Amino acid sequence: MTRAVRIGLLVLGAGFGVVAYRAQINGLGTTVLHVPGPSGTHTVGPFTTSGRSFAVVAVGIAFIAAGAIAWSTRYRNRIAPLMIATGFLWLARQLRYSHNSALFTLFFLFGDLAYAMAGHVALAYPSGRVRDKWELWLVRAGYTSVLLFNFLILLFYDGNVRLHQFDPSKRRSFLLFWANDAVALKIQEIFVAFFYGLLASLFIALIVRRFIQATPRARRLLAPLLLAVAVAALRSVWECIFTFVDRPPSIAYNELFWWQIFGFIAFLIAIVDGLLRARLAHAGVGDLVLELERTPQHRLGETLSRALRDRTLEIAFWVPNRGEYVDAFGRTIVLPTDGIRAVTKLDSDGEPVAALIHDPSLLEDPTLVGAAAAAARLSLENARLHAETRAQLAQVQESRARIVTAADEERRRIERDIHDGAQQRLVALGLQLRSAQRTAGAADDPQLRKLLEGTIAELQVAVDELRELARGVHPAILTEDGLCAALEALATRSPFPIALDVEDERLPEPVEATAYFVACEALANVGKHSSASNVTVEAHRHNGVLTVEIDDDGVGGASAQNGSGLRGLADRVEALGGRLVIDSPDGGGTRIVAEIPCAS
Amino acid sequence: MICKLGIRVRPVVKAAATCDHLLVAVSVLIVDDHPAFRASVRAMLELDGFEVVGEAEDGTSGIEQAGALEPDVVLLDVALPDMSGFDVAEQLAPATKVVLTSSRQAFDFGRRVRSSRALGFIPKDDLSGDALRRLTETP
Repeated sequence: MTRAVRIGLLVLGAGFGVVAYRAQINGLGTTVLHVPGPSGTHTVGPFTTSGRSFAVVAVGIAFIAAGAIAWSTRYRNRIAPLMIATGFLWLARQLRYSHNSALFTLFFLFGDLAYAMAGHVALAYPSGRVRDKWELWLVRAGYTSVLLFNFLILLFYDGNVRLHQFDPSKRRSFLLFWANDAVALKIQEIFVAFFYGLLASLFIALIVRRFIQATPRARRLLAPLLLAVAVAALRSVWECIFTFVDRPPSIAYNELFWWQIFGFIAFLIAIVDGLLRARLAHAGVGDLVLELERTPQHRLGETLSRALRDRTLEIAFWVPNRGEYVDAFGRTIVLPTDGIRAVTKLDSDGEPVAALIHDPSLLEDPTLVGAAAAAARLSLENARLHAETRAQLAQVQESRARIVTAADEERRRIERDIHDGAQQRLVALGLQLRSAQRTAGAADDPQLRKLLEGTIAELQVAVDELRELARGVHPAILTEDGLCAALEALATRSPFPIALDVEDERLPEPVEATAYFVACEALANVGKHSSASNVTVEAHRHNGVLTVEIDDDGVGGASAQNGSGLRGLADRVEALGGRLVIDSPDGGGTRIVAEIPCAS
Repeated sequence: MICKLGIRVRPVVKAAATCDHLLVAVSVLIVDDHPAFRASVRAMLELDGFEVVGEAEDGTSGIEQAGALEPDVVLLDVALPDMSGFDVAEQLAPATKVVLTSSRQAFDFGRRVRSSRALGFIPKDDLSGDALRRLTETP
């Protein structure tokens, strides 16, 4: 909407306002009437004053002005036309007080649509659409009831009684079908009870329900508006109650009038406040461009969260080769589909880049999310590549860990096969040979006995070698009893003394196996190269990390680079997300530390 | 062998030359899941003057047979298919003398051999009548 159209609308509204003002002042009159009755003369009125008529007209013009402002912002084509229409209807409604029969009939029939439409605006805020079935029902009931009841009243109204909110002047209905003012008044009472009583109460209930069900972000935005409309609707309920009080005190009518005026003004202020907040949010997106330059990629989510004023916002990056979304650290994210969280997907040249997981209330202003996404586009692309790389690294890491686990399992299987297969057969063979040796001894055949002795000795060597091989592949004690027992067994058969300080607890198998083989390799190096006299092995778990430390006071000079076997172990430790540190200055002993993450 | 009267009969050892200090054979129950090993050790022990009263291929049947046959010694493999030999030893000893055996060595089991209720441990490749006798005759 151009500026000229907006000004034109306001001028038109002001013109309508003048007409409405005059219609109300002339129609209702500002004088006090003295009406004779059975118990004496009593005073009625005034039914309006210049101040009250001015206030009524001001509300109508304010609706038009707020609608024009809304049309120039994000609410165009939705709530803005409703607001402008409400303003004009509100002003037009005042023409029903005219003594001209045509104007009275027309605007009595359609004038109350302004109230129904004001309720519609409140229920449609901020998206402009009413989606909830109860809210839809209420809006339809509002429109239908104002038309139906006022039509029925006009069928019976003969002008001899004072209608609700009217002065006692006689007016003529063009739709008069059967002159019966008592029926007309009864219908109006039912209308007041239904519209101002029942529907207004339902309206308050739905507003309260909407507030309770709103997400925290939506609640912050909706709170002023919902409070204002609830107060305005409460006034209608009071009006209904006072209608059925026989002789309401005039103060009550006066209070109710200004309650109505201030209720509508609060309603409009809340809408303008919402518009200002939306503009501020858009301004925040403008600042985003500058802020992004200073934001590290892993904090992109926080920056967008601040700009969009949604503390719950998360970013998911698309990884094409995995066909899934990941977070900034490469961890898989499943996009929510439950409706509790909303998702806005961001594409670039038709290819997915990222998805924003956010509060559903942001969907009411898609241009805001779009503007933020556009501002962050380059950063999002970079962050996506970053996340993709992290995801690939995580994949490689997982793959390395799986390889280590699979290799350990294979080692265990080989050890079991050796133990259950060849080793058992050779042992049984040895026993049979020794039985044969005894039999041969009894037969006193020295040649055979010698042959058997040699065979048994060779077989024993083979059994020993096979046992050592099996132990080196994967010691059974490690599987059966864990790291502590395995290191104790290792220390027991070590040719040099080893001081052990190891916690006796079970850990995940890959962690135990890695820690054990690190200690084995380090101790093998001590035996081969270091000439150490004091060797200590320690293993302790702290904060989810198992630290294995092997110290000796030997010649030092160990390195993971010279093919000592430590390189392979360093790879193995890193495959589990840990690290191997070797501190081995020449002549200064060797300290090997493996830090291995372990969940338990 | 258990006769119907419930009197336990222990025949005089036939191979008196190898164990001439014994007049009555020591009865043995072999618990091991390898048939070849059981056959070999039965032949060897019988040659050494022991009476092999039964064989079992797992821990559960080993415990059942030990209760039924009441052998003097149970020669018990550590690695059984259904349960650990250490657990079987916990149930049988000290009422029954238990000797653990394995194709692995004692230190391959850490403290479990020392803390077990068994009389001792003989690696399978060192198994002989004399080795078994030394353990079982130790007061």
